[in-house]
Amino acid sequence: MRFATLLKHPADWMMGHGAETSVVLTSRVRLARNLAKSPFPGWSRKIDREEVYSSLREKLESVPGMKDGFSHELCDLDPLQKQVLVERHLISREQAARSEGSGSVVNRKQTLSLMINEEDHLRIQAIRPSLQLREAFKLAHAVDQRLEQLVDFAIDPSLGYLTACPTNLGTGMRASSMLHLPGLVLSDQIGPVLKGINKLGLAVRGLYGEGTESLGNLYQISNQSTLGESEGEILDRLTRVIGDVAQYELQARERLMTNDSIMVRDRIGRAAGNLSYAHIITSKEALNHLSMLRLGADLTLLPADLVESCDRLFMETQPAHLQWGAGRKLEPEARDIIRAQMIREKLQSSLPPAIDLSGKEN
Amino acid sequence: MKCDSCDEKATVFYTQVIEGKLKKFVLCEACAQKKGITNVDDLLMGNDLLANSPPETKIQDIVAELNQENCSACGFSLDDFRKVGRLGCPDCYQVFSREIVERLPSMHKGGVHKGYLPEGIAIKQALKSELASLTEKLENAIEDERFEEAAKLRDQISKIEKEKGLVEL
Repeated sequence: MRFATLLKHPADWMMGHGAETSVVLTSRVRLARNLAKSPFPGWSRKIDREEVYSSLREKLESVPGMKDGFSHELCDLDPLQKQVLVERHLISREQAARSEGSGSVVNRKQTLSLMINEEDHLRIQAIRPSLQLREAFKLAHAVDQRLEQLVDFAIDPSLGYLTACPTNLGTGMRASSMLHLPGLVLSDQIGPVLKGINKLGLAVRGLYGEGTESLGNLYQISNQSTLGESEGEILDRLTRVIGDVAQYELQARERLMTNDSIMVRDRIGRAAGNLSYAHIITSKEALNHLSMLRLGADLTLLPADLVESCDRLFMETQPAHLQWGAGRKLEPEARDIIRAQMIREKLQSSLPPAIDLSGKEN
Repeated sequence: MKCDSCDEKATVFYTQVIEGKLKKFVLCEACAQKKGITNVDDLLMGNDLLANSPPETKIQDIVAELNQENCSACGFSLDDFRKVGRLGCPDCYQVFSREIVERLPSMHKGGVHKGYLPEGIAIKQALKSELASLTEKLENAIEDERFEEAAKLRDQISKIEKEKGLVEL
């Protein structure tokens, strides 16, 4: 499958398909695996990596569902294409910096993405919409079980799967969900909630993983520990905590609408105004306003189908997606102009010309 | 416990503070002798304080030697691991196991894998832990002179060892 074909369609998990995504947007599970007899990618010669790549690639493409998918060595992709894959969470930022001997195999629906020679020889990643960590794990696990028939993975019976970094040792599993938490942010409760999550031994990060700031009130919650607990125990704990956080978020929204509804309406109204009329808008500003618009739709102050428009704009106005759509590389200033235009056009069709945010009770 | 520089049983346990860091190593009698630290009297703190010549420099040499051990499969060194926090290849986990195991509690909920293992390895692991528990029972039985039970246990153990041989990967 060509890169252009892959991008023509939004990923299956970006659409939600009726799943409950007002707070938890997506769930991701990735399994780190290594070949028993080869040095890890970070400590291997190019020739070793190319050998691992060609031997793994063939096997990965034979996994059911991957056959007519997207499969490329990273040196075949230009920096912009790599960045688009990062924005879609199909490859990691770390992998985007690699080229020869590193590859990406993605199925048509973009629910499964297999990364060859990232930090580990193989990373199997599955993405589902909403809070479905168990389902995402099942998808990744099925691929893992298929591959263990074909490949000799590095395993120690008491340490589990051996990984390049000991922080992934054991299950090799990192499970995470992306949450939209505007209610907790607006009501100043986000700090204590994040602290609480950290205390439970879970990690909270921004939109694009490790070391990224939170934009658009989006937060990723994931497990830290991969050893000493079974996959099921990790997934259960994570699902419970994420479910609780989602509940706090919904309660915060409800309380805001009871106690501070004018402030909320003001924020949503200003976001709608800015997005509808701006001619220059940075990615950061856009994400933050789109977050408010999405909240407005979730609170039924705005038409419900705006949720999907916001989710698509979240992705399509990211720098690499935007340049890919424009068909050329653009300076940040030019991107800000095109971004504003894209948003205006989209909202013209999905936002009523005169929105009434005043609420009948006021 | 195994000796740090060979596979013999360790009998000399040594702990020293060097540059504010606690260094521990264990050696078998032969290796300890080779490295010149068998004379326990020399190592006593009293002697150190009264010092004719404290064995400090020697100890540092030994520590350096033990630390310089490279993974024979990929050439990665313990120093590399300390610098980057990652390992060179799967075999490094055995070579640097002491240092890795020390770090695990700060990263993970536990030190032993409790998750999924492919079938062959899972069976092997189950047999291994069954063997360990039977061996312990056998030792207890012999100690308590319950010989009839010991004989039964011995038969069970040899049966499992045979099975284990069949699934050996």
